[in-house]
Amino acid sequence: MVVAAIKAKDYKSGVKPIWCPGCGHFAILAAITRALAYLELQKEQVSLISGIGCSSRLPAYVDSYGFHGLHGRALPLATGLKVARPDLTVLVAGGDGDGFSIGGNHFLHACRRNIDMTYIAMDNRVYGMTKGQASPTTAPDWSHSKMTPHGTGVRRFQPAAIALAAGATFIARGYSGDPKGLTRMLVDAITHPGFSFLHVLSPCLIFRPDQRSWKGEVHAFAAETSDEPVAAAQQIHADDGMGLGIVYAERLPVWPPRQEPTATLATLEKEFLV
Amino acid sequence: MSDLLSDDISSVPEFLAHALEMEVESAERYRELADNMEVHNNSVVAALFRRLSVEGDAHAEQVKQRAKKYKLPSIAPWDFKWACPDGPESAAMDDVHYLMSRRQAVQLSLHNEIRGHDFYRQVAVGSSDAEVRGIAAEMAEEEATHVAMLRDWLTREIDDQQPSLVDLDPPNTPE
Amino acid sequence: MNADVPGLQPSSFSVAITGSGGSGAVTAGLILLEAAAKTGLYGLMMRSYGPQIRGGESASLLRFGDAPLACMSDTFDLLLGLDWRNAGRFAQEIPLDASSIILTDPTVGAVPESFSASGANVCELALTECAATVEGGRPNMVAMGAAAGLRGIPQETMDAAVRSILADKGAAVIEAATVCVALGYKLAPAPEVPAPGSTVNPLVRWNISGNEACGLGALRGGVRFVAAYPITPASDILEWLAPRLEGLGGSLVQAEDELASINMIVGASYGGVPALTATSGPGLSLMQEGLGLAVASETPVVVIDVTRGGPSTGIPTKSEQSDLNIALFGMHGDAPHLVFAPLDVRDCVFTTQWAVRLAEHLQTAAIVLSDQSLGQARAVTDPPVAFEQPFGRVTEMSPADDYRRYAQTVDGVSPMTVPGVSCGMYTADGLEHDERGMPSSLAADHYRQLTKRRHKIDAFDFGPQWAEIRGGGDLCLVCWGSVSGAVFEAADRMSNDGVPLRVIALRLLAPLRRAALRQALAGVKQVWVVEQNQSGQLCHYLRSHDLLPVAPRILAKPGPIPLRPGEIVKAVIEQT
Repeated sequence: MVVAAIKAKDYKSGVKPIWCPGCGHFAILAAITRALAYLELQKEQVSLISGIGCSSRLPAYVDSYGFHGLHGRALPLATGLKVARPDLTVLVAGGDGDGFSIGGNHFLHACRRNIDMTYIAMDNRVYGMTKGQASPTTAPDWSHSKMTPHGTGVRRFQPAAIALAAGATFIARGYSGDPKGLTRMLVDAITHPGFSFLHVLSPCLIFRPDQRSWKGEVHAFAAETSDEPVAAAQQIHADDGMGLGIVYAERLPVWPPRQEPTATLATLEKEFLV
Repeated sequence: MSDLLSDDISSVPEFLAHALEMEVESAERYRELADNMEVHNNSVVAALFRRLSVEGDAHAEQVKQRAKKYKLPSIAPWDFKWACPDGPESAAMDDVHYLMSRRQAVQLSLHNEIRGHDFYRQVAVGSSDAEVRGIAAEMAEEEATHVAMLRDWLTREIDDQQPSLVDLDPPNTPE
Repeated sequence: MNADVPGLQPSSFSVAITGSGGSGAVTAGLILLEAAAKTGLYGLMMRSYGPQIRGGESASLLRFGDAPLACMSDTFDLLLGLDWRNAGRFAQEIPLDASSIILTDPTVGAVPESFSASGANVCELALTECAATVEGGRPNMVAMGAAAGLRGIPQETMDAAVRSILADKGAAVIEAATVCVALGYKLAPAPEVPAPGSTVNPLVRWNISGNEACGLGALRGGVRFVAAYPITPASDILEWLAPRLEGLGGSLVQAEDELASINMIVGASYGGVPALTATSGPGLSLMQEGLGLAVASETPVVVIDVTRGGPSTGIPTKSEQSDLNIALFGMHGDAPHLVFAPLDVRDCVFTTQWAVRLAEHLQTAAIVLSDQSLGQARAVTDPPVAFEQPFGRVTEMSPADDYRRYAQTVDGVSPMTVPGVSCGMYTADGLEHDERGMPSSLAADHYRQLTKRRHKIDAFDFGPQWAEIRGGGDLCLVCWGSVSGAVFEAADRMSNDGVPLRVIALRLLAPLRRAALRQALAGVKQVWVVEQNQSGQLCHYLRSHDLLPVAPRILAKPGPIPLRPGEIVKAVIEQT
């Protein structure tokens, strides 16, 4: 009998997640371990970087290197790590608040740079960790938060549209209730050379029990993956935000370009001699 | 093909690879749920899921024994031919709640076992390969005993009413 | 560290050059500096300018001497006025007296009262007319030749300096400049005094700016990753480092903001590569949360803060020493870390290198408080000492099964794995954690980790470089960073006048070497704390630790005007 070299469950650290029973993040964790196993990545070569929030707890549950950093700052931390250590496989995980509110600026520039890493935004359209405030992806009329008792009244942040405009070269949407599709997208995202943005709908059943309806609302994107930004933009804008699949994937030069050393410190210091 | 089987499983090794994955994932899922319930202090349901994970390990071991003499194909996670999101016997993570009762947990598990049994039955009926149909039928029989066991457990649950999933305490903010 | 013999007054002369609208005051200054260096003189050059990006008024401030120079003198001997447009803005930075000379072309206008009121002698030269006789000739080159001639700098040396500084401007420009310089020599009155040091055999000297020196110190310390956001007056460090880091196989990332910068260097450092950023006050404010992450997760990082006038946007182009408080206390929580301040331009190399090595070894954040007066000054100085690096990052390359990233150890430093090392996986965290790095809110874990993070720094033997201590006596001047140059010179003057005193110039501000400081202050009956800020930040810091044997006197003067030796002497003598 053939046994796979490293199984998905081997990537689990054994630390018991504190996510509530019913949380969509469990399925994402499972899909990540399956994708890593499928790709046969050595554990010590994988680094999982996160910010603050329920989804950002993920690195502790994976037996790889990780950094549970500051709220909104996972992408720059991951960028520094990947530029200094291009040999590593770098995955970034975080929620909708972490990524699109406080992290919004870094999201734009990370997409722009096209660094070879994978950003998994686990979107439950709420700030779960801090008791259920609205997030940038919450509908303007959702009025269940005491902090915005009439709803935010502000239109939703559009992650896929903004990722495309900001220059991400791989944009996909998955759903925690579709583990097969999600695992496959993760494999494609990780192997894509460049910045992969994977937007995952992941219900929070404690603060957004209404998200049980997502099961019936998700659907495939109308068209196949495009490598053409205008077509992809039309696809994204025509979509209701529940479309699943890889909507855009394009090969562009990965940043930064690698260079070999050409000097020594001793030669550099000569420039100061009078 | 049929509602749980998305495509023809046409060889014994392929079938056993599916069966093994199903059992292993189911046991692993119960283990995960047991841990999760423990962390959330629902010890009654945790114990139930723990027991089911042990049963699941045993089933998985049985399938491994059957599969010993074959070289199983390596199947990509998305290529398994069941038409449900996870393995047919895996409890869906979003069907649980930290305040759920034992009765609800047994109901969930029964649902999964029935689905596992139905999957085998559909292969037993629909596979293009006779040997596959044979083995699938055997395994469907085994599953039927699991189903019976759970139905039995269910009759012994004596909740009179649906438990309230309402927690009187406010939520915490760990970070 | 300065290699000069303590107690000798630098015999020096100072030249200021003002001009506007592209008149070339800066270029002239750079050439003079280079020429003086070639004759074996030490030198220091600073610049001042108006708010325009181009065409604004500009001043070069130079000082030359036969001993290393770490501050501007009390007055300037020579002022070259290429023109006088808005030159009044520089009056406070170019103090003159009756012995000063103002070289100017009368056709550009009268010497402003703010300069002439000093009683300086005005020497009129036909600079414009002279320059007009040369194709492509510029008055600043004529003026420069006159100044050089006045000071007895050999003409061949000037020519070599012209060729060096104008190398990338093309042969025609160099030729025109050389001819103008020669004309200037002819115009100059006979040398007043022989150029100090011109008989000294030129030894090996360096011409380096404070910002370049910080960059070099970083590279010597092993930094191979920098992420930063441009900010005046720190951008020079980044521009110097960018191509050189690349040449050494490292990287510089221009980040989208300072929040990204600090987090990027934490990430790179976590990956095993020594990492650094450079900024100024506003950027340091933004970085506080990231610095705290470095401290809590025990990830080495270095931030160079080239301080400027504060608070808020403040005065970006002028120096001030008002970031001590935020460097010491800016992080929330109890977050022990390292704070350094180089004492002069040359010391920027050593101090930055030292900071990098210590941050790496002690797995913490280090802030290096340079400032605009160091960063953007050019010094002709002795080459910086080579510093043997006896300590660095303590790594674990073959972790045992039960590897604990934050294990308790005798010295508080726990060996760190880096991504790629098998069996050494851990998730670094800003959350308080147990020995394995797992988040914990338990009291025992918090006490343990707080103690570890404090102990590793407190227990470390930093050696004698924590301060530069000179002299003796019961009068003591305490200072830090760039103001030390003026303090040392004031002390030398007072010493020569029969007032014995000691100077303690702090290079390591956090942790405070309390025992060593008490020892250095033993027997002191009068203490002055001298610093360039309004509130006396160092003074209050030392007082809060009960380190001063008597109630101190404070000479705390905010920027933008530098402290001069003379005003320090005056303050101390008057109040003694």
